Amino acid sequence: PNVGTGLVGAPACGDVMKLQIKVDEKTGQIVDARFKTFGCGSAIASSSVATEWVKGKAMEDVLTIKNTEIAKHLSLPPVKLHCSMLAEDAIKAAVKDYKEKRVKTNGAAAAGETTQA
Amino acid sequence: MATASRFLLRKLPRFLKLSPTLLRSNGVRVSSNLIQDSIEPLDSFWRIGSRIRHDSLTTRSFSSQGPASVDYSSVLQEEEFHKLANFTINHLLEKIEDYGDNVQIDGFDIDYGNEVLTLKLGSLGTYVLNKQTPNRQIWMSSPVSGPSRFDWDRDANAWIYRRTEAKLHKLLEEELENLCGEPIQLS
Repeated sequence: PNVGTGLVGAPACGDVMKLQIKVDEKTGQIVDARFKTFGCGSAIASSSVATEWVKGKAMEDVLTIKNTEIAKHLSLPPVKLHCSMLAEDAIKAAVKDYKEKRVKTNGAAAAGETTQA
Repeated sequence: MATASRFLLRKLPRFLKLSPTLLRSNGVRVSSNLIQDSIEPLDSFWRIGSRIRHDSLTTRSFSSQGPASVDYSSVLQEEEFHKLANFTINHLLEKIEDYGDNVQIDGFDIDYGNEVLTLKLGSLGTYVLNKQTPNRQIWMSSPVSGPSRFDWDRDANAWIYRRTEAKLHKLLEEELENLCGEPIQLS
């Protein structure tokens, strides 16, 4: 329930990236992050760096991580910029997934309270 | 071939189960493709397999992601895609080659090889354009705007990056003019 999963990429081109974040529900901080990536070395490195960067950050802050920062950090060549884009997308997808999950659980909890009252 | 059809028979039900939405919208086309492909020689078997996996998986993975969603009803046939994309890339190659003669940029070099168009602008950076056939996209890597992926838009008759609505030719025109200081007409 406190884990958000982002799955991005197109399997047909050989790049699929799964990035998961574990969030402290009280503070909104990302306490842990994991990745599983099929793809080229740059894609794997991008997702790895992405998990390192999101750890310990607030959820809202990681949305500002840009593909250009990842590419620069890894000194990716021009052809490989797309990989860093995938990592940015994965972070965003994970945060989005977590938020959607939380809305669902909160909605259910609220409904539960009304019936109790 | 026997192995191939066994593989197909095994894969097919799972595929049908995985993507009901895809089937509903595209059922006729998908199944006619399968029949057509299955009478082709063995080497097409891998393509079929990968296409099935691709279609069902992308449907799922992109469903949570607005900007990258794929409208399967408008997916180009591979042949048409190659025709359009090759025309575009060759056209860009020609235009930019001419442009290179008009601007004074140290290290200006344009090269098309292995289906990849590489434009070097010395210290200003490097552009890379390539076809991404499985997605029917043209990918561009720009030193200015970073990575972008263009889909063919029939209505606009142009390659468009869905996230920003940017058109390939227009984006390149603007960026090249800013970088090199000379206007360029690409379309």
